Amino acid sequence: MVDILYCEFFKLKRSKMLLISILGQMVAPIMVFVGLIKARIRDPQTIITYGEMLEQTNLYVLMLFGVVVYGAIVAYLFSREYTENTLKSVLSLPVSKISFVIGKFLMFFIWIMILTVVAWSSTLFLSIIGSATNFSLHVIIESLKQYFIGAVLLFLTMSPFVFITLWFKNLIPPVIAGATVAMINVALSNEDLAVLFPWSSPYLIASGKIVKYQYPESLALLLIVITFLLGFVASLIYFKKEDVK
Amino acid sequence: MKYVIETKDLTKKFGTQLGVNRVNMKVEESQIYGLLGRNGAGKTTTMRMLLNLSHPTCGEILLFGEDYLKNCKQTYRRIGSLLEIPGFYENLTGAENLRLLARLRGTQKKDAVEKALHMVGLGKEYTKMVSNYSLGMKQRLAIAAAVMHEPELLILDEPINGLDPVGIHEIRSYLEKLCREKGTTILISSHILSEIEQIADTIGVMHEGKLLEEVTMAELHKRNRQYVEFQVSNENKACRLLEEEFQFDDYSVHENGNIRLYSNLDLRASINLCFNQNGIEVTKVNLSEEKLEDYFSKLIGDGSIG
Repeated sequence: MVDILYCEFFKLKRSKMLLISILGQMVAPIMVFVGLIKARIRDPQTIITYGEMLEQTNLYVLMLFGVVVYGAIVAYLFSREYTENTLKSVLSLPVSKISFVIGKFLMFFIWIMILTVVAWSSTLFLSIIGSATNFSLHVIIESLKQYFIGAVLLFLTMSPFVFITLWFKNLIPPVIAGATVAMINVALSNEDLAVLFPWSSPYLIASGKIVKYQYPESLALLLIVITFLLGFVASLIYFKKEDVK
Repeated sequence: MKYVIETKDLTKKFGTQLGVNRVNMKVEESQIYGLLGRNGAGKTTTMRMLLNLSHPTCGEILLFGEDYLKNCKQTYRRIGSLLEIPGFYENLTGAENLRLLARLRGTQKKDAVEKALHMVGLGKEYTKMVSNYSLGMKQRLAIAAAVMHEPELLILDEPINGLDPVGIHEIRSYLEKLCREKGTTILISSHILSEIEQIADTIGVMHEGKLLEEVTMAELHKRNRQYVEFQVSNENKACRLLEEEFQFDDYSVHENGNIRLYSNLDLRASINLCFNQNGIEVTKVNLSEEKLEDYFSKLIGDGSIG
């Protein structure tokens, strides 16, 4: 597994995808920073705290841009061997199909964690530039906790995207699915149903706002786990059974 | 007899269509086995199943005398392969691609990548991205990837596709050397019959999913008789002379005054002289042998391979 993971990193050498995903992830912090500037222009006395800045970014990442960016990463990671016609070379080495897929999942998880750090640190940097207030260790620790809980939960909900990619063997369907999910997230915002939608609830759980909704957190967690298991198991079974073309 | 590859009633169905139909193939150790067949004959599907990339509908595959799924990881480390159009990570160099495959395979000598690149003539392209490779260069790189770990069995599907004539000659020589000197068993498919004819010890002919025949080249040469062909102005008179003067009956008459003699070929000069002395004009004398192409055409009942 270490070798598979090493090779996944090695394959990214000179690839623009890592840079593109970082830029994609930075859209949310930049948007929040633009909001800060706008507020300052309207009223120079406006007070914006580090906590608000970090919270806003996490909201945009988990509910909007994250799903789209992570969907694109899934599409790239899992369709690469199909588009570059390298699957037969790798699987005849031999590398087992199961470890190949699990290696990709691990790579995807690490990638999401890297992007989470990018979003968090760039928000912090932009908050310093924008002279945000109320900096404290508590804010830093709390925000880090929220970012990583949200990222792990969102990672779990992305396994159906893996299945879609393996099924279609193409970049486009998972990207469309990501955009669709982001739109549904917007439509469900502030609705009780958001708790039941696995791609909306990671933010609600991570931020602790789920207590305001009528459905319990445990139900949201259960739905996320079921979503992960369905996508993961379906991906493994499909990939294992399918002939390599 | 030790077989490195043995299939028993190997079958692959695609829906209701039979891609491979009860194939019983036997590839002997340290031999080059040429798999011939037209497009869609089932060669690549058979090779995919041997490489565990495609699941057989039924039948057995034995590799190195064992079921191919038993000790799968160890078995496939002993195999090198190239299937159809090779694919590589375009953002990496040729050497980086080979290093990546070596790392995934798990066992590799330190200088294996350099040696393999040098062997296929890509030693100078060390820093070139695969995205800048020509088709021929990619094919060479794929051959390097297949042989760099010095496998005991090589499965090569159309390995000379896209290579120039010099490249074809180099690869053919290298494969022959691998087989003769290191005892590597090679299963190779190609559209170019003359290439197979030059290196194969045994050939298998596939048509419409079936393995029609498996025959050694030695046996094939025995079967495909040599003959002398005369083109004469009067075939009736020539036949009479052959029977009366030389007591020959092992001949056949063909179009355009062509007569083929299948025995006593060393008497062709005397026969020619006899024809001339009896007023028969001889416009052509050829010493010929039926080629693999003729054999192939006869076997599948069609004139072409493509």
